[in-house]
This record gives sequence, structure tokens and C-alpha cells, in this order.
Amino acid sequence: MTGPAARPLLVGTDLHKAFGATTALEGATFAVDPGEVVAIMGPSGSGKSTLLHCLAGIVRPDRGTVRFDGRDLATLTDAERGALRRSAFGFVFQFGQLVPELSCAENVALPLRLDGVPRREADARAIAWLERLEVADVARQTPGRVSGGQGQRVAVARALVTTPRVVFADEPTGALDSLNGERVMDLLAGAARESGAAVVLVTHEARVAGWSDREVVVRDGRTRTTELLA
Amino acid sequence: MSRAGAWARELLLGARLAVSGGRASWSRTAMTAVGVGLGVALLLLAAATPTALDARDARTAARDDFQLSDAPTARGPRTLLVADVAVRFRDENVRGRLVQPEGRQAPFPPGLARLPGAGEVVVSPRLRRLLAGSDGPLLRPRVPGRIVGTIADAGLSGPGELAFWAGRDDLRVGPDGVRRIDRFGDTGQSEGQSPILALLVVVALVVLLVPVAVFVGAAVRFGGEERDRRLAALSLVGADRRMVRRIAGGEALLGALLGLVAGAGFFLGARQLASGARVGDLSVFPGDLRPATGLAVLIAVAVPAVSVGVTQLALGRLAIDPLGVVRRGGARPRRLAWRLALPVLGLLLLVPLLRTDVAAGERLDPWLAAAGIACVLVGITAVLPWLVERVVRGLRPGPVPWTLAVRRLQADGGAAARVVSGIAVAVAGAIALQTLFAAAEDASTVQTGADVARYDAQVLTTTGPGRPSAEQLRAALRRAGAEAALVREKTLIERRDGTTSVVTVASCRVLRRLAVLRSCADGDAFLARGGPGVVVPAPGSAWRDGRARWRVPTEARRVASRPSVIDGGPTEGVLLTPAAADRRALPGLSAAAAVRLDGRRDALEHLRNEAARLGPLTVVSELTATRADGEFLVVRRGIVAGAIAVLVLIGASMLVSALQQLHERRRLLAALVAFGTPPRTIRRSVLLETAVPVALGLAVAVLAGTALGIVLLRLVGEPVRIDVGATLLVVGVGAAVVPLVTVLTGPALGRILRPEGLRTE
Repeated sequence: MTGPAARPLLVGTDLHKAFGATTALEGATFAVDPGEVVAIMGPSGSGKSTLLHCLAGIVRPDRGTVRFDGRDLATLTDAERGALRRSAFGFVFQFGQLVPELSCAENVALPLRLDGVPRREADARAIAWLERLEVADVARQTPGRVSGGQGQRVAVARALVTTPRVVFADEPTGALDSLNGERVMDLLAGAARESGAAVVLVTHEARVAGWSDREVVVRDGRTRTTELLA
Repeated sequence: MSRAGAWARELLLGARLAVSGGRASWSRTAMTAVGVGLGVALLLLAAATPTALDARDARTAARDDFQLSDAPTARGPRTLLVADVAVRFRDENVRGRLVQPEGRQAPFPPGLARLPGAGEVVVSPRLRRLLAGSDGPLLRPRVPGRIVGTIADAGLSGPGELAFWAGRDDLRVGPDGVRRIDRFGDTGQSEGQSPILALLVVVALVVLLVPVAVFVGAAVRFGGEERDRRLAALSLVGADRRMVRRIAGGEALLGALLGLVAGAGFFLGARQLASGARVGDLSVFPGDLRPATGLAVLIAVAVPAVSVGVTQLALGRLAIDPLGVVRRGGARPRRLAWRLALPVLGLLLLVPLLRTDVAAGERLDPWLAAAGIACVLVGITAVLPWLVERVVRGLRPGPVPWTLAVRRLQADGGAAARVVSGIAVAVAGAIALQTLFAAAEDASTVQTGADVARYDAQVLTTTGPGRPSAEQLRAALRRAGAEAALVREKTLIERRDGTTSVVTVASCRVLRRLAVLRSCADGDAFLARGGPGVVVPAPGSAWRDGRARWRVPTEARRVASRPSVIDGGPTEGVLLTPAAADRRALPGLSAAAAVRLDGRRDALEHLRNEAARLGPLTVVSELTATRADGEFLVVRRGIVAGAIAVLVLIGASMLVSALQQLHERRRLLAALVAFGTPPRTIRRSVLLETAVPVALGLAVAVLAGTALGIVLLRLVGEPVRIDVGATLLVVGVGAAVVPLVTVLTGPALGRILRPEGLRTE
């Protein structure tokens, strides 16, 4: 278990968000320290994905603040938030959201290329990450030709290749069988801890939440924190 | 359940699936229906064109007032005098006729209940509206008489025609075009279209219709990817491959049938609007636009058949497996051999036509020509996917937008090729058409030789007693505000042996423009040498002007002629100063003037009005450097109108397809933005995704279009010439679709390129 840090890396305070007449968040609060793995749990429609999107600067909350490293995300322009997501955040989604036309290696290298890293160097780093996540053999394949578990590991490699400070994972094992799901979580949590990245993990499975240091339960748009034993 | 029953059930299931998936399904089906409907409407319009032209020809033939017979018609109770009035208003012709019955049983033309009496005019509905509008006062002096009625549809070529029948009591049969007839509708044999013009029409029809067919093929594939996923789900619950095909067929069939209904609706709507549309002087009554039955049935059968066929072909490249994974059968590369079959067949069909001796008057077989051209053009749609696949396979990754675009094209370049096929076919056809056009333009356009730098118009009064004198013409020109004029009088003289020549009477100032005169004084006479073979009357020789005898002055001096300011030809014949002209012996003298107008607005229209005041048969013609055949102009305008409709259709097709693809990829694009991809990177990749296949399509179009153009030129026996400028212009118009589609998809892409797009609830 990671010990408490002097200052949380990412803090969401009193977050409110509604989509039309539907209230998704109603005063949710959340914090994650550097290197910490936090699971956001809750039933379907409770607002956990919305909370993750607000924390990642994908969705602007109607009320409340999100601070990353002391900076209020609301004060950043779209381009600045885009750059932040590109360089400091990493994302893993339920279905990977890999670009189907790019090879797995190109998918992993994509965030680096977007950051201006030369192609050769980006490719080399992508291959290294694929090796680390045990999917180097599918580097030249397109996502449509690899299994779900392999695809998700490629997505994890893509999330970690930029050495992000926070990895956001939205139901990363939702589309996988339990064996593959465990392997993906092993690799995600392990690699994140090795690189010192914090992980914000949205899941509704207690088994997946077992990889986290701490659980935050979202119910009806509000948060409740539970300390876990390692 | 019987096999047929099972088939029907599966087809029905497919149709139900097309509309049962909520708003998304409905909007996809509606989009297909609208797309197919637009294509069907254009096809129906094309199928109705021959009927409309036939109806128009029948009406114009029924009112025809030229009688071709060896013996002149004798005056009687059933005869009518008719004269043409050449009225032009701005850029439009007004068909004017003066009529004067010679008996109680004189015929009257279709569209009129009776002949107008002297001083009365019956006008077409559009002319009536024009005269009642703000331009009315500018045109009214040229419509001679009090308006007493309106010409009915039966007497008009179309609803947009400007026409009038004016009653007179001062017409006499004579050299000024007044003729005697005893019936309407006695037409002589039409000369028929020139072979080059006929081929031009065939090429134009094929060029305009093939992209429409390609568009229909693309429209039935709207929403293809979602449909593939749905079919995978059906496979999961036990549908075998054949069942999946039938279900997909049912879905396509529904879209096509709805498209037919929509197309019929669009066609009926367009038909109502047709009465307000004009192409040059051509307009059609809505009732004339009736698709030929055979063609309408063909469309009703072919469109559903094409839609099912295209869907089945598309399914052939898919591997639908029960786990919902739909993979492109990309492992099997497209083969070139059969794809080349169509263009080669097209050229083989055209080659025998090369033996047709057009110069000797042999006519080209239009069906063979149409089939050959269609095969070459449709062949482009077969070759293009192969070419796109081959070329993009060799492209290397580069900057991120380029890599994203190239990889997407490598994954399924066929889809992109399908979308740009319409442009490629249209551009290839347009290049071929343009090549043939240039030849037709040369063949149908003549250099007038007019001195347009110095003169704007020519005024001719008709010949005969009681016609305006040169002095009256000068006064009219002064009233019209002419800056300069060359006024002279002319008459045709004839020798006993039938040889003819011309006598021109004018001041020394004017004669100096017509011939090289060392000296000139009133009373002088000259003999102008014309071109080779032209008879120059000898001094003192005897001639006739109508019935009057006239003798060439014995002191007439031979002089060299100058080019005419009207037609550039040499001035020939006898030139007389006023004092040398014995007007009693030259009764046929009529006045003519080359006129320079001042620059004020509508100066030409004012000149036409002043000329009309001299008499309704006074002719004013604008001087132009070139003069094109009227039929050629109509064909050209028709083709331009058709080309615009097709380009709009293709643009709409590309736009819908681009929006569809963006919609299908919205979550992926939102995810890309979520992890920090700048929207401009995605915008550039989307632009490149369109630009690369369009560039390849245009390259194929230039090759195919130029080759087709060369073959067509050989067919009509014209020298091969490639108009590089016109080709580049056509290619530029085709390429303009890329930025246009990019701009129009911009707002939708902007909405998609927001990380909020990841939200699913």
C-alpha cells in the first residue's frame, strides 16, 4: 500500500454534473495521491464514469473544481487540457478504443507521435512496452486480428507509454473473461506502480477493485470512501 | 413452412430490421431512401426527356408556317399572309409573327381561338407577364398592337416561350419575307442533327446518367458498417450465411423501394417546378414530362435489383461470425483482370464505329456508341478500387494525420473508392465531353468577320415600296443615341442571264469605308472589285431592279474594295453617290446601317425600339465576333444544367457518406481526443482520407476521359486535339469537392471531436 502523500495529485471537490434532466453527479469529492491505485465502484448509472470523465478533464463539471498538481482544470483552455491528457494522463477503456486501421505498435506509439517524438524512437518505445505487457508478437497486427485480452493489453501499453502521472481506466476488464481480466489488471497495476503513476479505476467488480489501495463508492452521484487493507 | 415462405419471412425480417432500431435505424433508412430517391428522380427526368422533346416538337410542327412547294400559293378565301418579326429582348428571342387573312376561311394557328384583327396582338403568357413587369416599357414598342388575348399551351413550344401573333392590314407578298400560306403545320423534312451534335447528346446522356447509377449504388450502402454488425448478431442467434444474405437483401430492398417512392415524389415536385425553369429558349410544360413507360418500368425494376446486387457483392467481402466480429475479407486482394474487362469491352464496341464515314454523311449507331461509352465509364468504377488498394498499399506512414489516413485507406480503400467513383466517372465523362465539345464548337461556330471594335449592331430595313428611307433611318439612329453609323442603301440587281450584283448608294464618307477611293464627289459612281469569281457590272451595261430597268453609269470607275464592317467580306458591285443614283430606276433600295452605340444601359434595347418604330419588319442584329449554331447552344446549356444537377448529387453523396463514416467512428474519434489528440490532427487526417482517393480517381478520370475523347474525335472524323486548359478546369471542379465536403462536414466533426463523445448513457 502506498503511504499518504503530502499533497494529493488529483483532487475533485464538490462535483456536480447533469445531462439534461438526469443528474449524474451531486457533490462528489475525490482525491488520489501519486502512485496510488483508487477504485471507483458503484452500480450502473451511479455516475462513476462521469466522475472519471470530470477528473480527466474530458467533461466539464457544472459545479465544483478539479485540480491536478494544484492547477484548476477549469482555468485551462481546450488545447491545454488536450496537452495535459496527452502528456500527463493515460486512458484505458472497456473496449480499448484502439484505432482499428493502425497496427498495435502504431496504436501504442500514437500518443508519443502526437507529442512530437520522432517515429523511430516512438516505435522503439512502443515495442518495449508491448514486450513488457507480453504482446510483442502482435505488434504488427491490427486490433481486429488480435484477441480481446491482447487488445486490452495493447490499450494498457498505449496508456503507459508516455509515462503518465495518472492512468484512468474505465471498466478495463469489462469485456474480458476472468483469466484475461486478472492478467490485464496485474499488468496495469504492476506497471503503474513501477512507474509511479496513480491509477483511477472505474469498475463494478469487487474482484477488480481488489487491485486498488482504496475504494471510492459512488451512489446517486455522491462519493463514499473505504480504506482497504493491502 | 415452404421454402418461398421462409424466403419471404427472411426478406420481411430484413425490412423490419431496417426500421426497428429506433431513431438511428430510421434515419439511416431515410438517408438511403433520400439518396436513392434523388438518383431515381434524375433517372425519371432523363426518361421523361424524350417524351417532353417529342411533345414540344409536335406543337412547334403544328404551328409551322413555312410551306415548301414548287408553285407559289395563289390568293384565295383560305389564304393568310405571314411575316416573321425578329424580336430580341436582352439575350432572349421573341417569336413574333405578323398575320393578315386574305379571306374568311383563313387558317389560324394552334393556341389561338381566332386570328387577331389589324392592330391586335395575342401574346404568350410569359410575354404578357414580361410586358406587365418593370421591363415591360422597354419591350412594349416592339410588340405591335393592342393586346387582346393569350396564346394557349397548344401554340407554344414551352411555358417560358416569348411569342406573339400580331394582326396587320398592310402586308404584301414580297422580298421582305411576307409569304402566303393556306394551312399551318406543313413542315418540310428536318435536316436532322449533325453527326457530331448527335454524338454529343449521346455522350452527354451517358456521362450524366452513369454517375447517377453509381450514386444509387453508393446510397444503398449508407450505414453499411452498422448493418454488418447487426448481421453478425443475427448470425449469433443461428442465422446461416444464406439466411444472412436474404435478410440483408430484404433490408436493401426496403431502402430501394422507399427510394423509388421518394424518387417519384421528388420527380413530381421537380415536374411542377419545371414550368419555371428555362435552358436558353427551352422550357417544358409539367404535363410534357412523362417518363416513357418502358424506361419507367426499367427504373422500377433496376433500382431494387441494383440495390440487392450491390449489398450481396459487399457481403462477399465480409466474414460475419457469430461472436459479432466483422472482419473485412481483406486477405484476398482485388484482381485486375475482370475489372479491365468493362473498359476493354467499351473500347471494342467503339472501334467498329471508327469505320463509319461521318464525312460522307453516314450516321453513327447511337446505341453502340452509348453502350461503348457507358462500359468505359462504368469500367472506371471497377478499376478504381483496385487502383486505390494497390497505391495505398505502397504508401508509407509519415506525420500522424497522414499515418491515420493512410492506414484507414489501407484497411478499406474500397469504401473510399466507391465514394469517389461518382466524381471520377463524372470528370472522365466531362473531359471526353469537353474534347468533343471543342470540336463541335469549332464546327458549329463561325467567325462573323464583323468589325466589333467599331460597331455594335446592324439595322436593316426591309425592302419594297413604302419602306423607311435612309433619312428616316438616320433620324431613328439619332433618337436611339447612336454615336456613329455607316448608313447606306442597297438593292439587288439582275441581268437578263440571271447574273446578280448589288448597287450601294451612300455618301462619299461612307463609300470610303467600303472601297479604296482616290477621289469622290457627289455624282461619282464606282465599280468595286470583289473576290475571285464575282461579277463586276460593266459600265453602261443594262440591269433590272425588280421590274425597273437600270443602266450602270458609263463614267463609273473601277476601285478596290475594303472588307465589310458587317461580315469582313469584300464589298462588291456598283457604288453610287446619292446624285448618281436614279431612284426611280432603283425602286428596291432599302436602308442599312452599322451602328456604334453609346455606353448607356440598355442602349441596344433603345435602338431596337427605335428600329421597331420604323416598321415591325425592321431587323436589328447585334454584331458579334463569332456566331454559334442555335441547336448547339441549346445542347450546351442542357448539358451544363445536367452537369450541375449531377455534381450536386455527387457532392451530396460524398457528404452523406462522410457524415455516415464520422457517425460510425464517433466513439473512436472521441477517444482519440480524450487521450489528447489535437482536433486539427484528426481534421487533417479526415481531409487526407478524402483527398488521396479523389486524387487517384481524378488521375484515372484524366486518362480514361482523354482516351475516350480521342476515340470520340476519331469517330466524328475530327483531328485529335487535347484542350489542356479545359481538362485542368474540369479536374479542378472535381477536386473542389474535397474542400467542399470537408467544410460541410466541419460542424458535425466539431461536435464529434469532443471528449464528451465518450459518454454512452
